Order: sequence, then C-alpha cells, then structure tokens
Amino acid sequence: MSYIVPIGPYHPALEEPVHARLYTEGERIDHAEVFIGYNHRGIEKLAQQKNFIQTLVMVERVCGICSHSHALAYAMALESIAGMEVPKRGQYIRVIIAELERLHSHYLWLGIALHIIGHDSLFMHTWDDREAIMDILEELTGNRVNYGMVTVGGSRRDISDEQRKNTLAMLDTIEKSMDGIRDMILGDKTIALRTRGVGILTKEDALRIGAIGPHARASGVPVDVRKDAPYSSYEDFDFALVTHDGGDVFSRVLIRVLENYESIKIIRQALEALPAGRINLGTRIPRIPAGEYMVRHEAPRGQLCYKVVTDGGEFNRRVSIHVPTFRNAPTLPVMLRNNSVADAGLIIASIDPCFSCMDR
Amino acid sequence: MQEYKKILISQEEVRPLAQRMRESGIPLAMIHAFLRDDGKGNVSYEYEVGSGIESYTVDGVNELPTISDIYDLGAEWPEREISELLPITFTGLDTSQRLFLPDTLIGGQGQILVLPMEKVIEKTRGKEGGQ
Repeated sequence: MSYIVPIGPYHPALEEPVHARLYTEGERIDHAEVFIGYNHRGIEKLAQQKNFIQTLVMVERVCGICSHSHALAYAMALESIAGMEVPKRGQYIRVIIAELERLHSHYLWLGIALHIIGHDSLFMHTWDDREAIMDILEELTGNRVNYGMVTVGGSRRDISDEQRKNTLAMLDTIEKSMDGIRDMILGDKTIALRTRGVGILTKEDALRIGAIGPHARASGVPVDVRKDAPYSSYEDFDFALVTHDGGDVFSRVLIRVLENYESIKIIRQALEALPAGRINLGTRIPRIPAGEYMVRHEAPRGQLCYKVVTDGGEFNRRVSIHVPTFRNAPTLPVMLRNNSVADAGLIIASIDPCFSCMDR
Repeated sequence: MQEYKKILISQEEVRPLAQRMRESGIPLAMIHAFLRDDGKGNVSYEYEVGSGIESYTVDGVNELPTISDIYDLGAEWPEREISELLPITFTGLDTSQRLFLPDTLIGGQGQILVLPMEKVIEKTRGKEGGQ
C-alpha cells in the first residue's frame, strides 16, 4: 500500500527544521522530496546595511557550530579585495581555531549519529571527549561558540605558551581516546547493522549533484579546499585527504573519525611551529576599495563560499553566503530512495546538515 | 590568497560554456548575483578551474537561460534562490514551488534584497504578525 509520510519540519533528526516528504510502498521509500527555508533570518539583507566589522560579528552568528568558518571566509574575502597580507602568526592561529572547530563539529555529529543509531554509551563517550575540545576553545578564545577570533587582517587574540601546552596536552588525551571510539565503530555489530548499506550516495550521483565536504569524500570524491586551493598557510601542513568508497552512512561515520586524526595532526604542527610576530594588521575599521571576490573555506561540513561585493563605501554591496548543506541537501532524495522509513531520520542526519546555516 | 579571475561573457554564451565545463568535469562552485544601481542584474557563474575560481559574469541582464539541465541540482538550487531573492529570472527553470523564502514572506513577494528595509519590516509586521 502507498503512503505519503511527512517528516519534519520540526527536528526530524537534528534540532533544526527541514521537511521531507516520503512516498512509500509499505515500509520502503519509493522516492522523496526535501523542502528547506524554515529558518530564513535575512542575514544577507542585513549585511547590506552594516559596516565590515559589524558584518564580521553578524556572519559569525550564521551558525553556532562553524561560527569561526563564517568569520574567516568573510574576512578572507575582504582581505582579498583590499590586497591585505595577513601576518603568518595570525594565519596559523586562524588554522588552529578552524581545526579545533572541525574537531568539535565532527565529535558533535558523531555523538548525534550514535544516539540515532541507538548506541548511547558511545554517544556519551564521544561527547565527553568533545567537552575537552570545548574547554580548550573557551581557554583560547573566551567562548565555547562564536569565538570572535577573526578580524579583518588577522586574528584578534594571541595564543600564549601556556595555552599552547594545554592544547597539545588535550590533543594527546583525545587522540588516545579516539582510538577506542574508532575500534568500537569498526567492530560493533549494532552500528554495522544500522549504517552499512544504508542511505547510499554513489560517486556518480555525488559528482552529478555536486556534493562536497566529508559527505562527498565518503562517496569516494577527493575534494577538500584545504588541499585543492590552499589558504591561510594550509600548504605548510602535512595531512591526508581521507576518502572512503562505501557511500553509505557507515562511510560518513568513518570519514569523520579519520578526519579527526588529520585535524589533530594539523593543530599539532601549527602549535609547534607557531611563527613569531604580529597577529593582525590592526583593529580599526578597515577601508575596503570597490571590488568583488569569492573565497572558499573547508568548513567542518565542506566547502563554504563567500562572495563579497564592495563599492568603496562603508557597507557591503552584497554578501552572498553558501554553506555546504546547500550543496549536500539536494542529495537527500537520492539517498532516501529504496531505504526503510525507519532509517529516514538517520539518513537525513548523515549529511551532517546545518539547515539554519543554509537558510541564513 | 585564492585565485579569482573574472571573465565577462554574453548571455548567449552561458549554456555553451556550461556544457563545455560539464563535459570537462569542472565543478560549478556556485552562481552568485547582485543588482547594479540601475536595477540591471550581474550574474556570475563560478567554476572551479584548477586551484582557482573562474567567474564567468553576465552583466546588465535580468533574464538568463537556465543551466539546471546541465549541472542538475547543483545549478537548480542557486538559480531558484537568486530568482527568489532578486528580480532575475532563468528561462526554463521550474519555479512552481518556493525553495528558500517562506511562501508567506512579504505576501509571497520575496525578493527582499531589493526592498527597502523599512518596507520589509512594515510588511512582515503588518500582515504576518511578525516581531
């Protein structure tokens, strides 16, 4: 018998709004539609009426998880228009915060995925480790989210030697603990049953639709802005681009676990080789000439695009923000097809969506 | 600094270019748009070529052909979003459903990027009981 099963828009998986309509034959999803736009906040509109520093503060609030990514991408766009060269120490500090943000974002998603899968003990273990990362972020920046570490022309806060040592010690602790999480995920039967072969996105479909980030890498597509178009000194660091060709929910879990190791490697290198010198070019409201630039940053969920247009005045002419979920959400109908209704929530969550980010 | 190169093209070149890029396996990073002072559109097709972005821009046009049949949903969603936010249309694009802005926003009018902020506030407060 055919049914139409509506899911959402209120919190179908993560605590964010999206609506999916599943067209089912019994328990099997025949096809699906996804509807977005439930959390539009008019941020691009507001950005046209704020100066560059006000906008920097505002765009950091596009997302509560990858807030640093937004501030970084916006600042990079302005710096590119103005031809500013950020001091090396400022670039390294930006990378350290970006990778700590990736770690806490991946841990957050892993915990949620494990909770949906039904493995609550591992969910709690994962989030326990995440707290250590959040504590370090608080120590370095003063905040658990919305760090305020970026200014146009560099970083706003320096990292002291004591903070550097504390961060390195935290990395040692969570890396050891991550080994246990990885082994559990690889060996646990419940996790395998809930994730292997579920919500498959083939490499061909990922390329056809334009998926990005860990979501695409879990389908065997080797894309990563940090490697493809390095910025903020990412070319100085030795790290691997991790891919997996499974294309299922299990691959998406595994990719994020393995990427945590790479983020730890990057942060260690940046902290150990932190260059001496200035961290920014000053903190006054910058003068930005007329121009336009598009920059890309590898946010935790994938490529974040900022296109900024200026006219030489005090305000932005246009700030266009496109987050990874805008590229990955269109893959959901493909992933939901021929799966069970019971797995729909997990499949939607498996792209690590940020719908509020996407709606801006 | 990431490389960014702007190249002006005509609206007739949009589809043949997209076809060539697609056949060469070049990803479409995004489609961006804004309005000039005279109300004419400026639409950029941002292709990831090598490690940089080649931004093929059509300037002074408010109607363009869709490339959603060439780049699939990777172009369809950006085109639908632009046509909801700005008075720029894409010929051949299915806009029978709203993608991005709520159906009720400003009485279904949308295109908030070109409305004065006072009008946005007045309309959302007055007709929809907004805050």
